[in-house]
Amino acid sequence: MSPAITPAMIGQVIISGILAGSLYAMVALGLSLIFGVMRVINIAHGPMLMLGAYTTYFLYAGFGLNPYLSLPISMAVLFVLGAVLQRALVFRVVDAPELSSLLLTFGISIALVNVAQLAFTSDLRSVEYLTGSWVAGPFAFSKPRVVACLIASAITAGAFLFLQKTRLGKAIRATSQSREVAMVCGINVQRIHLLSFGMAAALAAAGGTLISMMIAIQPEMGQIWTFKSFLVIVLGGAGNYPGALLGGLLLGLIEQLASLFLTTQLSEAVAYVLLVVVLLVRPTGLLGGRQT
Amino acid sequence: MVTPVLAVEAIRKSFGGVTAVDRVSLTLAPGKIYGLIGPNGSGKTTLFNCITGMERPDGGRVLLNGRRIDGLKPHRIANMGVGRTFQVIRVFPELTALENLLVVTRGPREEAEQRGLELLRFVKIERLRDEFAGNLSYGQQKLVEFIRMLMTEPSLILLDEPAAGVNRTLLNDLLEAVRGLRDEGRTVLLVEHDMKVVMGLCETVFVLDHGEKIAEGPPGVIQSDERVIEAYFGR
Amino acid sequence: MSGRGRMFVAGLAVLVLVLAVYPSFGSGYGVRSMLQLFMWMALAGSWNLISGLTGYVSFGHVAFFGAGSYTAAILITKAGWPWLAASLAGGLGACVLALLIGYPCLRLKGPYFAIAMLGLNEVLRALVSYFEGLTGGGLGLSLPTLQATVPVYYVMGLTAIGVTALTYVIITSRFGLRLMTIREDEVAAEAMGIDTFRHKLYAFLLSAVGPGIVGGLAARDQGYIEPISVFPLAMTITMIVMVLFGGKGTVWGPVLGAATLFIFQELVWAQFIYLHQLLFGAIIIGVVLLMPRGVLGLLQMKYRLPRTI
Repeated sequence: MSPAITPAMIGQVIISGILAGSLYAMVALGLSLIFGVMRVINIAHGPMLMLGAYTTYFLYAGFGLNPYLSLPISMAVLFVLGAVLQRALVFRVVDAPELSSLLLTFGISIALVNVAQLAFTSDLRSVEYLTGSWVAGPFAFSKPRVVACLIASAITAGAFLFLQKTRLGKAIRATSQSREVAMVCGINVQRIHLLSFGMAAALAAAGGTLISMMIAIQPEMGQIWTFKSFLVIVLGGAGNYPGALLGGLLLGLIEQLASLFLTTQLSEAVAYVLLVVVLLVRPTGLLGGRQT
Repeated sequence: MVTPVLAVEAIRKSFGGVTAVDRVSLTLAPGKIYGLIGPNGSGKTTLFNCITGMERPDGGRVLLNGRRIDGLKPHRIANMGVGRTFQVIRVFPELTALENLLVVTRGPREEAEQRGLELLRFVKIERLRDEFAGNLSYGQQKLVEFIRMLMTEPSLILLDEPAAGVNRTLLNDLLEAVRGLRDEGRTVLLVEHDMKVVMGLCETVFVLDHGEKIAEGPPGVIQSDERVIEAYFGR
Repeated sequence: MSGRGRMFVAGLAVLVLVLAVYPSFGSGYGVRSMLQLFMWMALAGSWNLISGLTGYVSFGHVAFFGAGSYTAAILITKAGWPWLAASLAGGLGACVLALLIGYPCLRLKGPYFAIAMLGLNEVLRALVSYFEGLTGGGLGLSLPTLQATVPVYYVMGLTAIGVTALTYVIITSRFGLRLMTIREDEVAAEAMGIDTFRHKLYAFLLSAVGPGIVGGLAARDQGYIEPISVFPLAMTITMIVMVLFGGKGTVWGPVLGAATLFIFQELVWAQFIYLHQLLFGAIIIGVVLLMPRGVLGLLQMKYRLPRTI
C-alpha cells in the first residue's frame, strides 16, 4: 500500500507509540484499579477524563493558568467527584450482578456527557500552550507529547509506589486480592473503595489535562477512552496492575504501527480488531490475569 | 478388573505459585460411596473442580469410564454423566423450583415435568413447585439443588458438603437418598466435614492434606491412621 | 385459559385490528408516529432477548440497526432489490455481524462483551466511511424516491409483533429458561450441563435480526442514510431505557416501556430536547437502584403473575 518503509519510519513509530502508550497506561491503571478492587467496570471512566480536560481548559482560558500547573487541580477536582459518585451511587451495586454496575455506570456516563454539553456546549475547544516538535536527526518529538509522557510516567510510577509501599496502597492491593481477607485484617473496605474510585478518577483527569494540549476538547471525547482503557486491561490481564503498563505501551505501538499501513479511518478500527483477536487467542491477557 | 467409573491420575493444580492439588490419584469403582476428607484448604473443592471441568488441571489426567475428560468444558463433562452439588448452594433464584429442574433436561417436556414432580414429591416439597427458588428456605434450596442434579441422571455424583447446615431429619432423608442412588448402581463421591456422616456412609475414604493424598482406605482404618490424626489435630 | 387471560387476548386482537385499519383513517403524522413506535418496540424487544434474558449487556445494539440499514440501502441502490427483500436481507446481515462479534466475545464472562459492544459503533462508523465506493462514505446513500410509508408501516408493525411473539415463545420454553440460568448463575448452569456459550450466541443472533430488519425499513422510509444517522449511541440508550423501565426479561415489558417512553418523548420531552440524555441517564440510574425489575417485573413479583407477562 504505502511506499517503502524506511528504518527511520519504524523508529518514529516506536517513539510515537511509547509517547501515546504511556498515557494509555496511566488512564487504564485507573480503570484497572476500580475493577480490581470492586469488580466494577466503570463505563464513566472516559467521561471523567473529559471533565479533567475541561477543568484545564477553563483554568487556562479563564485565569491564564499554565495547563501543567492545573494538573493537580484537575486531579483533585475529579478525585472528589469520583469519591462522591462512589459514595452516592456506585457503592450500592458493588455486590449486585454485573448487569447492575455496568448499567449504572453507563447511566452516569451519559448523564455526565449531557451535563458537559449543557454547561460547556458542544463547541470544540483547545488549549494551545505547547506546540511543535523537537527534532533529532530523522526523528520528531512532539513537544506536548514528550512532556505528557514524562508526566504520565511520573504519575504512574508514583501510583505504583503508593500501591507497593504505603499502608493504604497495601490495603488497596489486599482488598483486590480478597475482600473477605481484607476485612478480617481490619481494613475498612468501604474507605478503600472510596479511595480507589477517587484515585481512578484522578488518573483519568490527569490524562484529560495532558491530552487537552494535543487534541480538541468536546463533551464526547471521553467514551473512546473507556474502550481503549479496557482494551489495555485485556491486553495486560484483568486485575493485573503491572499488566496495565505493558498493555498501554503495546496499544500505543500497535496503533502507531497500523497508521503506517492504513488510512486514519481504518487505523481507528485496529484497536477493536485487536480486542477481538486477543479475546479469541488469549483471553486471560498477555501477562495472565486473575481467575474469574 | 472393571473399568473404574472415575480415574484421577496424578492431578496437579496451582494458583499463582500456591499448589492447591498436588499429584492426587483416585480410582472409583461403580456402585460405591466414597468420601473425600481433609482439613480446610486441603484442596477438596479444587479437586472437585478439576474433575467437573471448572478448573483445568496443570498436569495429570482424569478418565471417566476410561475416556479422558480433563480439559473438556464443564457442560460436556456434565452431559457425560457427572452431576454435582456445591458447597454454597447454587440454585437459580428467579426460576421456580420446578423450572430449576426443567432447565437441565432434554427430550419431551411432558416427561421432564413428570420426572420433576416425582422428584419434588420424593423430597416432599411438591407444594413448592411454583415458588421462586430464591424464596425457599436453606434446607429446601439444598433439596432443590440435590434433585436438580438427579434430573440429569448422572452415573457419577459429586456432593460438596451435603450435610452442612442441614437439620437431623433432613440429613437422614438425604443419606437415605444417597444410599438409594448407590443401590441403583451410581457412584458417589462426597466431601464432608461431619465425620459421623462419612464413617456411616462411605465404603472407602480418601484423605487430603495440603493438596496431597495422605491416606486411603475403609473408614475404620482411616480413623486410626497416624498421618490423618496428625493432619487434623497437628502435633 | 383463565377468564382474565381470555380478555387479555381479546383486547390484544382488537388492538391489532384497529392498528391494521389505522392507515385508512389516520393522519400522515399519526401513521408515521405509529411506525416509529413499532420500530422502538422491535428494537427494545430485541435488546431484551440478549440483555434482559441472559444478563449480558449490549451497549451497541444500534450497530445491528445500522448494519441492516446499510445492507438494505446498498442492495436497493446498487443491486435494485425491492425494499422488502432488502430489509429482510438487512436482518440477515445484522445476524452475520452478530456472529462475528459474538463468537469471540461471548465465550468469556462478564464485561468483555459489554465493552466490545460499546466500541463496535465507532468501528462500524469508521468502516462505513472507509468503504466509500459501496456506502457513499460520509456523504451517505440516497435511495430512489418511493412513497411507501403505509406498506412500511405494516411491515414494521409485523416486525414488532414478530419480535414480541418470539420473546413469548422463548420465555415459555426451556431454551428461554436456560438463557435465564445464565443471568442467574452461569457457573452452575455450566456445571448442570447447559452449553452456556451456545445459548448466549443463539440469543444474540436472534436479538440482531429484529434491529437489522427495522434498520432496513427505516432506511427505506427515510430515503437517505449516512453514518451518523444510523449509528447513533442515543438509539442504544433509548432501547435500554425502554426495557429497563418496562421490565427486563419479561414479554410485555419492552412493549410497555417503548409505548410509555415514546409517548412521553413526543408529548413532553420534545420541549426539552437538550435534556434527553440527562433524563435517560437519570432513569437508568434510578431504575437500577430503585426498581431493578422495572414496572412489570415489580408487578410480577408482587402479584405472582406468570412468566408470560
